[in-house]
Amino acid sequence: MARSAAEVTRNSRNNQRPVPFFTQAESFAALWPLISEQVNDVIDRGKFSHGHKVAELERALAEYTGAAHVIGVNSGTDALVILLRAAGIEPGDEVIVPAFSFIASASAVVLAGGRPVFADIEPDSYALDPSAAADAVTARTRFLLPAHLFCQLADLDGLVELADRRGLTMVEDSAEAIGMRWNGRHAGRFGAGGVLSFFPTKTLGAIGDAGAVLTDDPHLAAVADALRHHGRAGHTINHFPGIATPTAYPGMNSKMDDLQAAVLLAKLTRLDAEISRRNHLADAYSARLRGCPGIRRLPAMVRRTATTNRVCYVYLIEVDARDELADWLAGQGIGTETYYPAPLHLQPCFADLGHRPGDFPVAEAACARTLALPLYPDLTDAEVDVVCAAVRRFFGERG
Amino acid sequence: MNAIDLPFFPTDQFDEDREVLVDLVRRIGLAPSQRFILGEQTARFEELLRAELGAADVVACGSGTSALTLILRAMDIGPGDEIVVPAFGCAPLASAPVSVGATPVFADVDPWTMVADPTAVEAAITPRTRAIMPAHIFSVLADMPAMRRIAGRHSLRLVEDSAVAQGAVLDGVPAGRWGDAGVFSFVQVKSFGGPGEGGVVVTGDAELGAAVRMLRNHGQDGARRFVHHRIGYNSRFDELLAAFQIHRHPTLGRRLDRRARIAEYYTDRFATLADHGVLAPPPGRAGRCYYVYTLLARQRDELRDHLAAQGIGSHAYYPLPLPAQPAFARFAAVGQRWPAADQASARALSIPVYPQLRDADVERIADAVCAFVGRSVSPERIGARP
Repeated sequence: MARSAAEVTRNSRNNQRPVPFFTQAESFAALWPLISEQVNDVIDRGKFSHGHKVAELERALAEYTGAAHVIGVNSGTDALVILLRAAGIEPGDEVIVPAFSFIASASAVVLAGGRPVFADIEPDSYALDPSAAADAVTARTRFLLPAHLFCQLADLDGLVELADRRGLTMVEDSAEAIGMRWNGRHAGRFGAGGVLSFFPTKTLGAIGDAGAVLTDDPHLAAVADALRHHGRAGHTINHFPGIATPTAYPGMNSKMDDLQAAVLLAKLTRLDAEISRRNHLADAYSARLRGCPGIRRLPAMVRRTATTNRVCYVYLIEVDARDELADWLAGQGIGTETYYPAPLHLQPCFADLGHRPGDFPVAEAACARTLALPLYPDLTDAEVDVVCAAVRRFFGERG
Repeated sequence: MNAIDLPFFPTDQFDEDREVLVDLVRRIGLAPSQRFILGEQTARFEELLRAELGAADVVACGSGTSALTLILRAMDIGPGDEIVVPAFGCAPLASAPVSVGATPVFADVDPWTMVADPTAVEAAITPRTRAIMPAHIFSVLADMPAMRRIAGRHSLRLVEDSAVAQGAVLDGVPAGRWGDAGVFSFVQVKSFGGPGEGGVVVTGDAELGAAVRMLRNHGQDGARRFVHHRIGYNSRFDELLAAFQIHRHPTLGRRLDRRARIAEYYTDRFATLADHGVLAPPPGRAGRCYYVYTLLARQRDELRDHLAAQGIGSHAYYPLPLPAQPAFARFAAVGQRWPAADQASARALSIPVYPQLRDADVERIADAVCAFVGRSVSPERIGARP
């Protein structure tokens, strides 16, 4: 469970300043001249969702990712639903998803009318294992939906090969993967399309909900564009009421707010620098935690045949006594987050699928042991020292 | 054609609050809580509306459309279930049922007020019907007393699409409180529009409200993060929007009153035009909300062009009735017709009614409509029946 800043402050037993699990206040303040300029521009133009600033962000993200089309929507979850629908999912289609991910990797499949079929993950990348995915393919399987989590991409060579071999359409849950590239190609561009989430804690985070669909397929882009705005065909962005356009598909309302686009455009100017800062902080963590008793695993890039790069969105360690460590750190004023306390196949909402503990052991082991430590560009090296010292004290005291 | 200097929707609606809005972006970005979604501001906004409406719960979510979907899911409406909806109105009336796997069944509307016709709604009920979902449209509330009776008679859920009707009152009951659940939308063009997308579910049923709360945030119970009890949605509310709406709420009544006064002036000016092919909505304030002021014009497109030539924006909602939309044609029974919905689609033209209009603007718009009739070659009266 996340320890809120207030809770962390309350629980803090010493005079040391709390280290929240997340804050972007300092970088927001530094960027304020740019942010306020963008916000005023939105007010000048007078359209506050699905407007000019969203279109500007879409163009900027297309340039950053290399995707031919970027479609701004209300959240990463909505982006996945829209992506699956635009990619032609039919009721009852099976979609292979990892047993370990954020719920949206599987709930989006249900919301789009499909059936999630779980497969186990690789222990080191925490992403869908291509050979486990291959074993999950049936005659009804139509989609492969890997998720890229924490700091690196899934085995895209293995997954693309599987999709090609079995005639599956791959769509990527690349919600966390902005900046991650495989042989130079950005996440979300290895199958029919991908998504981005701009949830505030993300590598590129808004100050509210926002997300996007990425695709190189013009037809898929046109359908996704319509679906986000009540299924209205034709390009509706910037068209004020836009309501007269015939409804071509039963769509949804998933428009991005222009004020969020304004913040994101300002933050995008610092994205690569912030990724470098994140990676530096992750290295600092690993240098201080390596060899610490009680820690079973530190984040590590999996050796791939391809050239890949690291983007440390989350610094995730595996430990014994995870919940006790989280409570201990909260008592020291240090926020943490548990990604994820339960694997997808054992979530109550999927109880009707009849899975049992033991079905996907790698995913289950990860859920028992993983803990995310604070990692964001505003974090200082001194705060990393504080966190690491507290982790070591925890295991020392117990040891 | 002249440039439009009186747009159908204004683009300067928040200019007087610019400093407040910019400052809220800064304050929320820097706030010690670093909570941007479903935080303290959202809770305050929900409670403000709940108290004002006398509801058991008000649950803020991503949009009015999403609010309808959340209500249907909270009612466990899904595949095999039918929902009776008006044949004329906005796409979510049909797409919300479709999004939960249910079937929209279209009922014709009243040819003058364009809200669902209670007789047609009752006639559309089958053994598979689970809910009826009337919608308030333009400036008129649906006949909610009749809908309440129909729902009671057939033991159906009553979902009130009150997205456009915030502030309206009928028989002492506010819009949004007639149904088992209702919705409001805060997309900027609405009467209580804000600087982003958002909506609320309003309900007198605390249990239904709790179900919506769970569904809006991925099926989580609000206590334990990342444990998902139901397949839910990401349909949440941004703190920025909540804070701005709280700021604007005290002045909402004034803006609604200005809309109603403009509408009264129009209706008075247009009273005699019915004999000349332009029918104004009924007069009055009971059960009314002046989100949009809509005329029925026999020569609708000509009126639109005439207004545009004088720099006045107008808008034709909705040029196709729902059963004729490509997305929903498969739910239209073969051979069935909705003549009043067809007529509304052919004739409805909405003119500006937003509170920033100056009296001179309003008079200019009224003059332009009257002048159209003056030069119209077709003096015949619009029929109240198609």
